[in-house]
Amino acid sequence: MLMYCLSAASVGIQSFCLHVVTFTGFEVTVFRMSSEQPLIHMQRLMLRYPTGKTALSGLTLDIEQGQFVYLVGESGAGKSSLLKMLYGGVRPSSGLLVTQQIDMRDASESRIRDIRRRTGIIFQDHKLLFSRCVFENVALPLRVQGWKTERLIPRVRKVLQYVGLEDRLWSYPEALSGGEQQRVAIARAMTANPAVILADEPTGNLDVETARSVLDYLMDLNKQGTTVIMATHDLHLLKSHPGRVVQLHAGSLAGDYSEY
Amino acid sequence: MIPDKINPRLPGGFNLPPFGVHQILALIIVCISLWAVGTLWLGMQAASQWVGSWQDDIHIHVYIDGEKSDITKSLEQELASIAQVSSVRRISQEEAARWMQEWLTGGGLEQHELVKRLPVTFELSLTDEKSEFLFADIRDTARRFGAQINEDEVNLAQVHDLLSQVSYLAWFASLILAIAMALIISNTLRMTLLARADEIHLMRLLGAKEWFVRTPFILEGMLLGAGAGVLAWLLLWPVVLGVGGWMATMQVDLNAWVLLLPLLFGGGIVGTLGAVIATARVVSRETSV
Repeated sequence: MLMYCLSAASVGIQSFCLHVVTFTGFEVTVFRMSSEQPLIHMQRLMLRYPTGKTALSGLTLDIEQGQFVYLVGESGAGKSSLLKMLYGGVRPSSGLLVTQQIDMRDASESRIRDIRRRTGIIFQDHKLLFSRCVFENVALPLRVQGWKTERLIPRVRKVLQYVGLEDRLWSYPEALSGGEQQRVAIARAMTANPAVILADEPTGNLDVETARSVLDYLMDLNKQGTTVIMATHDLHLLKSHPGRVVQLHAGSLAGDYSEY
Repeated sequence: MIPDKINPRLPGGFNLPPFGVHQILALIIVCISLWAVGTLWLGMQAASQWVGSWQDDIHIHVYIDGEKSDITKSLEQELASIAQVSSVRRISQEEAARWMQEWLTGGGLEQHELVKRLPVTFELSLTDEKSEFLFADIRDTARRFGAQINEDEVNLAQVHDLLSQVSYLAWFASLILAIAMALIISNTLRMTLLARADEIHLMRLLGAKEWFVRTPFILEGMLLGAGAGVLAWLLLWPVVLGVGGWMATMQVDLNAWVLLLPLLFGGGIVGTLGAVIATARVVSRETSV
């Protein structure tokens, strides 16, 4: 079932949003840009930290809605810095970065918060709260958006069902394996139906099989319309899970392979 | 459906953080400080009532040599003309001698000799002993006629000045204790904030508004202060009951109820202030907010 709604008035530029009810039963809100407006637009993007280290230099790149993008490169190439910039963790030093129609250089704190609410983030160390149960961890993004507890439970249950952890709703993360913890992190990232999922080496600490299953979930979310941008060192995964590969080297764009 | 024994504690907003040993310690310390403040003001209340009990009935006596009987009438008129003097009563030497004999319970003094040696006394009743120049006016008038004022009575009459000075000191001590309490609560919440830094950082990464992140800590500070205030008020009762009998002999009736709201709201305000100080610079790594 497809239902279109006009959101151009609210965002002020040519765009519209699409609600898609997928086969998994989730209604995903996808922001569709006009042909001139990619989801993420970078132009001569530069990031220099206060320490003087240049993390990114002269990066020009467009990422369209619905793409699955791998960010690859050696350690220190700028992958994590780029992901941080995409959720407003750091601001560009110069150049242009427009994410979901918001110029990240000049965006106010409230606009940055809007971006974060529409973005799911998965970390290599998954950043789960170990003093809180799986339900509380997964419910956190919705709680931040003001959902009441009664409304949260069915939603969280549904998301955990999707990642195969429905029976671990009230368990604590320390009782879960590494792969299960990463699936909880995926559930947390997708629970608020984000337009984009940013994954910073989500398979870094996992064995090949578990990494593959984690990537299966991300691929599936991508098929449902969510844009996924994933920094990774695990190049072997690209064979089984193809996508656009953006290669960074010393903070610059070293290659862009649309379908690896 | 939430299973039994499961109590989801979602962070942020109006949900209070869990109450731990740090909070209990802070509660005890702030309670003791507020109890000290309460006791101080209870003491001020007692002093004020005690002074008021005899100050309402205070008289000033002016003495003039009995041999200057020609000018006593003029002195009496001059004293009566002072604005804050409501009445002047002349006490003859005979009356004074009689009173003195009674006071000394038959000291064996020769009444006739005593009358000759005693001065004429004027007993002044006052309308407003707090008036700024009253005692200086009485003193000047007495000196002009070669009379003397009872300075001990003047000192007692002016004890309200001393009380007001003590009152300033009490306010100052309360302020210092309030700052100390705010810093104790701030320090406690700071530890809680550090212990929950990951959670705060994560909430910000998920787009939480600042009020959402900080409100639980502000609420905790407010409740900590207000709770300590109520506890401190309860702990005032043993003091009130313990010294009540002794105070009653001095016409002092201590009222601890008037301290309930000041301690409750004072504690709440101090706690909120401490929480605001603690959360003023809650900066998360990797986030610009």
